[in-house]
Amino acid sequence: MFLHSIRWRWLLWLAFLLVCVLSGFGFTVFQLQRLNLLGQIDQQLERRVAALSRALRAVPPVDPGRGWPRADGPPALPPPDPSLKLLPAPGRGWPEPFRPSSRRDARPWEARWEQRQVRLPPDVAELFDESRTNGFYYAIWSRGGTMLRRSTNCPATIQRPQRQPDTLTRIRTRGMLREAFHFTELGDCVLAGRSMAEDLDGLRRFVWWLLAAGGAVLAIGLGGGWWLTTHAIRPVEQISAAARRIAEGNLAERIAGADADNELGRLVAVLNSTFARLEAAFDQQKQFTADASHELRTPIAVLITEAQAALARPRTAAEYRETIEACLATAQQMRRLTDSLLDLARLDAGPATLNRQPVDLAALAGDCIQQVRPLAARRNIHIESELRSAPCCGDPDRLTQLITNLLTNAIHYNQDGGTVCVSTRPDGAGVRLTVSDTGQGIAPEDLPHIFDRFYRADKSRARAEGRFGLGLAICKAVVQAHGGTIQVSSAPGQGSTFEVWLPGSPGT
Amino acid sequence: MRILVVEDEPRLLRTLAKALREEGYAVDTAESGDEGLYKAQTYDYDAIVLDIMLPRLDGWQVLERLRRAKATPVLMLTARDATQDRVRGLDTGADDYLVKPFDLSELLARLRAVIRRAAGQAASRIQLGDVVVDTRARTVTRAGQPVALTAREYAILEYLALHRGQVVSRTALYEHLFDETDDTLSNLVDVHVFNIRKKLGHDLITTRRGLGYCIEA
Repeated sequence: MFLHSIRWRWLLWLAFLLVCVLSGFGFTVFQLQRLNLLGQIDQQLERRVAALSRALRAVPPVDPGRGWPRADGPPALPPPDPSLKLLPAPGRGWPEPFRPSSRRDARPWEARWEQRQVRLPPDVAELFDESRTNGFYYAIWSRGGTMLRRSTNCPATIQRPQRQPDTLTRIRTRGMLREAFHFTELGDCVLAGRSMAEDLDGLRRFVWWLLAAGGAVLAIGLGGGWWLTTHAIRPVEQISAAARRIAEGNLAERIAGADADNELGRLVAVLNSTFARLEAAFDQQKQFTADASHELRTPIAVLITEAQAALARPRTAAEYRETIEACLATAQQMRRLTDSLLDLARLDAGPATLNRQPVDLAALAGDCIQQVRPLAARRNIHIESELRSAPCCGDPDRLTQLITNLLTNAIHYNQDGGTVCVSTRPDGAGVRLTVSDTGQGIAPEDLPHIFDRFYRADKSRARAEGRFGLGLAICKAVVQAHGGTIQVSSAPGQGSTFEVWLPGSPGT
Repeated sequence: MRILVVEDEPRLLRTLAKALREEGYAVDTAESGDEGLYKAQTYDYDAIVLDIMLPRLDGWQVLERLRRAKATPVLMLTARDATQDRVRGLDTGADDYLVKPFDLSELLARLRAVIRRAAGQAASRIQLGDVVVDTRARTVTRAGQPVALTAREYAILEYLALHRGQVVSRTALYEHLFDETDDTLSNLVDVHVFNIRKKLGHDLITTRRGLGYCIEA
């Protein structure tokens, strides 16, 4: 459920990353600490092993009388351990094993070697605090495996390490015990050890500290993440709330925060301009619908009133005829209006509804002029034409509608005996049609609106003559569907000029 | 009753005027807002039927300017049916509001209602002793028996009945019963009153010499 929330997903990712980083960091720190601890212990152990080894080598007691080792004492230098893979020094070889001059056989000597007394000089002995169970301890074995000496705190389970082929100092761990040992050239083994129990306890405490610190950092990080996501999400939530209110129908509402110069500010600006265009389109549509329904309601009111008045009492045949004629005229007015509305709806649907084919605008204009001539003649208006061949690609029916609308407008708003000028000519990549009249012109305040649907500059006269204010709107829709432009210029009292430019081919 | 109809659709205007005249009203017409305002300010109409979408002055402006001077009952007529339009119309001073397309019978009923209310009569039946004037059916009964009156006679009786207790001058009666196209002589009123007295009894309408006629309250 809450996985659908961006905030919770961010927080989960943040927690995951934090845990990864913290555990990596914590593990590294733990390992470093552990290695450091072991290194220190090992260093101390190695130092003690070296001291023990030195002390052991200094052991041979010398018979002060003869300069040789006493016959009953341990011999000084036994032969090197044969299992030792030591390389002899070049050109010298190992010295001959010491042989006592008394030529006694080797066995008692070796037995004596095995049972010799080893004493530690005090400076070495004080390296081992034998009174402490957890302190350093040592053990010394002779070549044959006899334990020569061991400290009192040495664990009873101690065993001589496995014989090694060299004299390097080695480290071993037995349970909680850490021990360093070393075989001398003569095969004796010295070992120094220590219990790591206290150190491991310290390490464990350190791990707990690490865990606690890691938990605290995680908590602080998540808290910060919560705060950050809250602040990052809040504008998004405001946008979404405002967008919801707008979607619910309050199109006039806008999202606050468009002035911020960041990603969200730009998003808000884009959304606001979209909403503004939506609202304008809705308003236009609403206005159009209101106007259309008004234009349809009035003739319906006429129809109903005519019929109800006629039916209210018996009438003569002439009265019925009058009523039916009035109803018919009204119905025809409604038909013209619905035709116009249908034309607009089709043109609004886009260029796809056009039946485009190559046409000559001059020929179409010529036909249209012939059609409106009777209308012009009734008001003694002269039509001048200058038609140069203007081939273009368009829907001939729609273009005829366009030219006829412009011509009837030019005649309608002209003065009696005036002139209408029509010209067609190629212009650039398209063709140009110009219709100008010598009528009353259009007032400057009406000029921006004359292509609006249901806009009538002169409302009183327009209604009386059954005009709806859709003619120029249809002209504009036709031109736009063809991808052209329509412009008007007018000087009040001198007449108006409509200029239409249409592209020569659909692509241009 | 004299009524002004202001409407810019000529066919609707003609039909309305015709239908109202057949109902016994005297009807004046205007096709634009300024013409309507001029007539409304010049004559004392019993009611005005006012379209909102009018050339030059629209219905709101006509109503607003008229209300500065007169309280003539106004029935607004419009194709706009949004609630805010109705509210605006009633707040500006309209007495009623009718949306196009409307039923003629509803228009006539609302017109009768605004005229009645403006005259201070709430009910559509007016009792004058044993004479009862039913403004809805436009009939008159005396002691329960129907009495046949001509349209003009009925109009005079209805006007006096609606304004019972007031003295109505001959000129006022004439102005409310004949429209601008009528040029009958004003003494026709006296002839009609004489005929009403003959049918409904002599005491119903009293003559105040030099002032006019009156039905006592």
